Amino acid sequence: MKFSRRDLLIGGAGALAGLALTPVPWKLLSDVSIWTQNFPWIPQPAHGPVETKYSVCTLCEGGCGIRVRMATKYPVGVAGVRDHPVSKGALCPLAFAAHQLNWHPRRLREVRHAGRTASWAEAQTAFVKACGEGPTAIVDARPGRAVSSVFEAFTRKHRGSYQVVLSAESQALTPYAGWSGVPVTSLGYDLENARTIVSFGVPVLDGWGTPGRFTRLWSERAAGAADPQLRLIQIEPSLSRTAARAWRWVPLREGSEAALAAGVARTLLEEHLVGAPGPMPRSTLAEAAAQTGLATEAIRDLAQRMVENRPVVVIAPDGNPAIAALNVLLGAVGAPGGIVRKRGDVPSHVSADPLPGSFRAVLVDSTVPWEFAAQNDAEVFRFAAWDGGGDSAGWLLPAPGFLEELTDVPTPPTSALETYAVAQNLVAPPTEIRSAAQFLLQIDPTLPAVEKVIHARCDEIFRTRQGTVYGEHPLAVTKIYSAKHLEEQLRKGAVWMGDPPSPGKFRCELKEWPADNRAANATCWAASWAPPVFPPLATKLYQESNLREPPAGRQA
Amino acid sequence: MSARYGFVIDLDRCTGCGACMVACAAENNVPPAPARATPRTGLTPMLVHKVSNGMEGAARREAFIPIACMHCGNETPCVAVCPQQAVEVDKATGIVVQMPQRCLGCRYCMAACAYHARYFNWWDPAWPVGMEKSLNPGVAVRMRGVVEKCNLCPARLHSAQEKAAAAGRKEIDPADYIPACAEACPTGAILFGNLADKNDPVFSAAHSADAFRLLARLGTEPKVYYKSQEAWVKALAERDSVRPTEAQHG
Repeated sequence: MKFSRRDLLIGGAGALAGLALTPVPWKLLSDVSIWTQNFPWIPQPAHGPVETKYSVCTLCEGGCGIRVRMATKYPVGVAGVRDHPVSKGALCPLAFAAHQLNWHPRRLREVRHAGRTASWAEAQTAFVKACGEGPTAIVDARPGRAVSSVFEAFTRKHRGSYQVVLSAESQALTPYAGWSGVPVTSLGYDLENARTIVSFGVPVLDGWGTPGRFTRLWSERAAGAADPQLRLIQIEPSLSRTAARAWRWVPLREGSEAALAAGVARTLLEEHLVGAPGPMPRSTLAEAAAQTGLATEAIRDLAQRMVENRPVVVIAPDGNPAIAALNVLLGAVGAPGGIVRKRGDVPSHVSADPLPGSFRAVLVDSTVPWEFAAQNDAEVFRFAAWDGGGDSAGWLLPAPGFLEELTDVPTPPTSALETYAVAQNLVAPPTEIRSAAQFLLQIDPTLPAVEKVIHARCDEIFRTRQGTVYGEHPLAVTKIYSAKHLEEQLRKGAVWMGDPPSPGKFRCELKEWPADNRAANATCWAASWAPPVFPPLATKLYQESNLREPPAGRQA
Repeated sequence: MSARYGFVIDLDRCTGCGACMVACAAENNVPPAPARATPRTGLTPMLVHKVSNGMEGAARREAFIPIACMHCGNETPCVAVCPQQAVEVDKATGIVVQMPQRCLGCRYCMAACAYHARYFNWWDPAWPVGMEKSLNPGVAVRMRGVVEKCNLCPARLHSAQEKAAAAGRKEIDPADYIPACAEACPTGAILFGNLADKNDPVFSAAHSADAFRLLARLGTEPKVYYKSQEAWVKALAERDSVRPTEAQHG
C-alpha cells in the first residue's frame, strides 16, 4: 500500500486530535505554568514560625498601637490594635506597609560627610572638635521622650542649647499657651466630649493627630447621619476628603480664614450668641463677606450653627491667632469638649524661635523633618534612617529605622489625656547603625542611657498610682505590683493612660481681637508622616490609582 | 453548611484614605509598581474610586467607592470564559478563586469582568534588595504574565481553618477570618462576613433598605453590597464601571 502525503496529513491531524483527548497536553500545560512561576529570580517568602508582637508606631507623633507579625526575625505585616485606647484600632494607610521601610533603596547604611563615605570615628571627632570651638545645639521634633532627656543632659553639661521643632498640631496650640501661660505640651483637644467640631482646613479625617482617634469617633457618632450626634463643619476652599464627609462644608476664598473668623466673632458678639463679652473685631461683616466670598447670611448661619449644638471646639491647622481666638470667645478653652489642660505637668521644652543665636555645631535628631534647615555657618550632624535627598547636612549619620530602636512614646500633641508607651526594638538594626543617644553616650559616658530613663519614668508613673495600663486587659496602676511589672507590660505593647483632666484648670484672657490676618497653612495628606520616604507600596495610592495626588518631595 | 463570604461597604463612612488598598497589597505580596506603571497597568486588587455628583462649587459632592472582585455567585463571567479552568467558585465558601498556577494570561476574564476588578501582571514581581524578607510567608508571589484579583485573603482563611481543625471544630470562628482590607478600614466602613448566616451582622446589613449592588441588572449575584443614604451615590450603581484615566487625579 502506498503511503501518500495526504495519508501523512490525515494521520498527523488524527494523532493531534487524539492527543487532545488525553490528559497529556493539559498536564504539560499545567506543569509549564507552574514551572514558569518558579523561576529562580522570583522572590520566595521566607518560611518559619510566625509570631505576633505588640508595639507602638514611632513614624509620627500619633502613638498608634500596632500589631506586628514576625517571621524569621523580620516583620511581615503591620495592623492596628483593635482595643488600643489611643488609636482605637486604626492606622494611617502608610503604616500598613511600614515594615518594608527598612529595606527602602534610600535607607542610610553608612556615615556620609559632604557626599562621601566616612566613619563613625571621624564623625565623632568632628563633633567633639566643633563642640570645643563654640556653642552646640541639639534639635528634636518630639520632646518628652527618653532620648530628649539625653539631649537635654548633654546640652546642660556642655553649655549647649536644646531646641524643639514643633509639629503643625502643636503649633496650633501655641496661641492658647501664649494667652494662658500653660505650656503647649500640656494642652490638648477634648474631642470625645465635643458635639460640634469646626475645622479650618484641618484634615481631621485624613491623618490629623492620632489618625484613628477622630475617624473612629466620627464613624460612631456622625457618619451618614443627616442630624448627627457629632457635627463636623469643614471650612476649606476645596472639597477635601474631610470636607466631602463633613456635616457641612463651607467653601471660602483661599487665604481668607482669619477674615471669616473675624466675621463669625462679630456675629457671635452682635447677636449675643456667646455668654461672655469679648473683644470686637475691627472688620465689619460686609468686609468679611467680601474677603471670603461668602454671603453675610452664610457667615451668620455658620455662627448660629457653631453655638446650637454645644460643646463646640474650633481646630486650626497652625498657630493662626484669629482662629484660636474663636475658641476663647465660644468659651471652649478650659471647658469639657474644648481645649483642655492635661492633668499632670508635662515638662515643656519648647523654644519660641528655632535655633536663635549662633552655633558652631548643630545635631539634628532623626525625628526632625527633612525640610528643616539649620543656620548656614554651623556644622550640621544630621541623624536620619532614610536619605531625603538634596545636600542639607554636612554629616549624614545612619539612624535606626522602623522597629529597630528602643524608644518611648509620650503623649501625642492633640491628646486630652496623658499617655505613655514603650516601643520595643523588635528588629536588630544593621551593625553600622547608631542612634543619636548612642552617639552622645560614646562622647560622654556619664549621660543617662535611654533604657535607664525609661526605667525612671515607669517608676514615676508607678509611684503616682493613677491612671490605667491598657494591655491585654485594662489594669489600674493601683493593681500593678511593681514598677518593673509596669515596664514589662509597656514593653509588651501596653499603653498607660492618665486620668481625665479636671475642667476649668486654666483660662485665656483676650484683650483685643488678633490683628493677624495671615492665611491658614494648607496641610498635605502626607504632612504628619515624618520619614522623608514612603513605603514602596504607597504607589497604590497615587501612581497605580487616581485616589490621591502624588506627595511633593517624597519618594516611594 | 456552605458559606457565602462577602462584604457590605458603607460608602457614607468611607473617607477614601486608601488604607484598604495598602493593607491588601502588603497582605497578598503584591509588588511595588515599577516607575512606568499607571492606573491601567498597576496591580490593585482593592481599588478605591473617587466619584462626584458632577456639580461644581458648593453644590459638589464626592464619595469613594472601594471596588474589589465582586465574587459573582451566578453565571460568574470570569469562570465561564477561562479556557484554563484557572478560576473556580469554591462551593464551600462562595469565593471566586483565581489560581495563577493555571493561568495562561489570555485575559479573557479581564474582558468579561464588568467591574474591572482583575489585573494583569505586566512585570516580573520585584522588590528592592532585601525587602523580600518582609513578604507574607502565607502567600506565594505571582509571576509576570498571569491575571490576579481579590481572593478574599486565602492565607487568612487557611489559617482560620487550621486553627479550627486544631481545636476539633469543623466551622471556623468568624473572628479568625477577616480580610486585610476590612481589618484595616479606620472607619469600619468595610464589613465582612457570611452572607448566608442570618446571625452574621453582614446579613442584616446586606438586607437593609439602603443596601444595593453594583450592576445588579446583570444578574451575576455579586457578593459585595454597598450602602449609602445619598441618592446620587445609589444612582451610580447601575452606571457602567470605567477605569479612571491618568488625567483624572483625585
